[in-house]
Amino acid sequence: MSVATPILPMREASGASSAGLHRPRRVTIDPITRLEGHGKIEIFLDEKGNVERAFMQVPELRGFEVFSRGRPAEDMPQITSRICGVCPTAHHLASTKTLDDLYQVEPPPAARKIRELVYNTFMLEDHALHFFVLGGPDFVVGPDAPPQQRNIVGLIQKVGLDAGRKVIGMRRRLRDLIAYFGGKVVHPVLGLPGGVSKALSPQDLPGFQQLAQDSLEFALWTLQVFKQAVLANPEYVKLITAEAYTHKTCYMGMVDEQDKVNFYDGKLRVVDAGGREVCRFAARQYLDHIAEHVEPWSYVKFPYLKDRGWKGFVEGVDTSIYSVAPLARLNAATGMATPPGPGGLRGILHDPGGETGPPHTGQPLGANY
Amino acid sequence: MNPTSKPKVAFYWCASCGGCEEAVVDLAEDILNVVEAVEIVFWPVAMDFKKQDLEAMPDRAIAAALVNGAIRTSEQEEMVRLLRRKSQCLISYGACAQLGGIPALANQFEREEILRYVYQEAPSVINNSGTYPQPATPHNGDTVTLPAFRNSVRALDQVVEVDYYIPGCPPTPALTKAALDALLAGRLPPRGTVLAPDVALCEQCPRLESKPKDLSLDAFQRPHRTALDPEKCLLAQGIPCMGPATRSGCEALCIKGNMACTGCFGPTSRVLDHGAKILSCFASALAPKEPQGIDQALAGLPDPVGTFYRYSLARSLLRRKRGPSQTQHFIRGNPP
Repeated sequence: MSVATPILPMREASGASSAGLHRPRRVTIDPITRLEGHGKIEIFLDEKGNVERAFMQVPELRGFEVFSRGRPAEDMPQITSRICGVCPTAHHLASTKTLDDLYQVEPPPAARKIRELVYNTFMLEDHALHFFVLGGPDFVVGPDAPPQQRNIVGLIQKVGLDAGRKVIGMRRRLRDLIAYFGGKVVHPVLGLPGGVSKALSPQDLPGFQQLAQDSLEFALWTLQVFKQAVLANPEYVKLITAEAYTHKTCYMGMVDEQDKVNFYDGKLRVVDAGGREVCRFAARQYLDHIAEHVEPWSYVKFPYLKDRGWKGFVEGVDTSIYSVAPLARLNAATGMATPPGPGGLRGILHDPGGETGPPHTGQPLGANY
Repeated sequence: MNPTSKPKVAFYWCASCGGCEEAVVDLAEDILNVVEAVEIVFWPVAMDFKKQDLEAMPDRAIAAALVNGAIRTSEQEEMVRLLRRKSQCLISYGACAQLGGIPALANQFEREEILRYVYQEAPSVINNSGTYPQPATPHNGDTVTLPAFRNSVRALDQVVEVDYYIPGCPPTPALTKAALDALLAGRLPPRGTVLAPDVALCEQCPRLESKPKDLSLDAFQRPHRTALDPEKCLLAQGIPCMGPATRSGCEALCIKGNMACTGCFGPTSRVLDHGAKILSCFASALAPKEPQGIDQALAGLPDPVGTFYRYSLARSLLRRKRGPSQTQHFIRGNPP
């Protein structure tokens, strides 16, 4: 694998040698920033200054799989949401759906729609968070900007206060919708086996319908910002599509019966780096398809495709490592279930600047868009 | 970096979920005023400052550090000691920092039990080589290190001195804003204060009127097995609700979601052990007076620790399960 141009300023770890003309042998990034979770990266360089080995370490363990045992099943949606307070809705609803399966109950149509509404609303506000607050500043503010500007504050300075207010205001409205049903937006409480705890009052419906319309416009505006700030800049496109930043793994995502993306329900489909289906299964069968590997240098475990066995940190069509999240979701599906908005969503990253392109490539820099 | 005269503020997370960072972002439009009034010098979730930037600052250079999350690892201890040294005011932000929070439920298990289950026994794990995370892993003559995993989860003030507490899982934007405003205006109450109303949630509950004057609990119901009246006191419907013994200030959000309070705001200032206080409240309200009837009623509470100490196990009188360690081959941390 060739060596990437670092987009983050790297600092030499204390104790590493930088005397004379020698390059540092070790680069430490501690802590990793602008994402949810704790992490540290140790990069070891060879004599030419190329990366010899890198370790992405998670320096902590809380142990949910241990302390969730022995508790009432119905408490799980509220306990497991604490795995992540940035995406609590995902853990909350995954756990709630597990309760449906446990009790063998199907939520009535209204409850299912409320869950889907809450979840899709979460998908929108969470992706907006990623683009504007977490990952986006790398591009919108710029990879070479000083660290004290490469954040939401710098982003607002770059795109303007009005645009900043638009993002903040839209996220607040979307999160208010989640709180309407879930009580709290961080760690919602709506999930019950076979349903939800709270109904929608008919008089509140028009407000939410207006929000849906405004959200669509917001999404299309965000897409324009992305196109202008990222895709219109040849340097960034070069960076995103560079071989060094291409990472070919298997991809997992949830699909409906037509293999289209579904956020709330369906089967988990896995394809390899060539786009061939590896497996497809219901969430309840996860232990048949996913296993976890342990390394001595991280507290986090490494999930992989069980049938393929652990093959180490290798990429390519035969790897047992799989990616999840937005790019993987698109790779694992044949398309979106609803018609794209003007401008088209699929293909943005697969073929920057165009509408179609080779599917099933992996550009980690774009993985969360 | 351009030095400014604005007060410096830092945010940090320990054993936490990121929900407290979201709670700060949920200040929404108000965050623009915060950013205007202070200089944020460290905030891993949102800004690219590194640990060495913090180390390079003079002691007490930071006006206030807001730390969320419980303390389990040696790195978290090191970071909060560093932040304590660099800050004039250290604020415990959220339930995990104040009381241990959900991660402190792990205190029901011994350290070795946790590691053995997570890395060996969990049904998803395949670990034939018996690998466990190690404090030091050699790599080409170098070493990759991991922090020590301590015997128990602790609250922030069990590791460093804390000046103020903002409660909740997570705290509300309103409480956060009020605390920041008070901080900036120099209007802070006595050190050690929990910055939220010092009354029980019931006082703030929209269902207070339907709460019986003399609570009498015959049996406890599970929320999915009961058709809940969305207007009526949950305790009056037999749902275990922690409201009578939990501090208010949360705006009764869970109740507005038609679910019971689980106690994330912790106790009021007059209570030492949150779980014991709720337990005593329930015990005194129990209708059956005969052993058999009491047992029957309590069968509706199958997980007393998870119910009464959902967020406060680390800060409880018992704090953690105690027992002999059975194995020695895991990472050894110094006992707290």
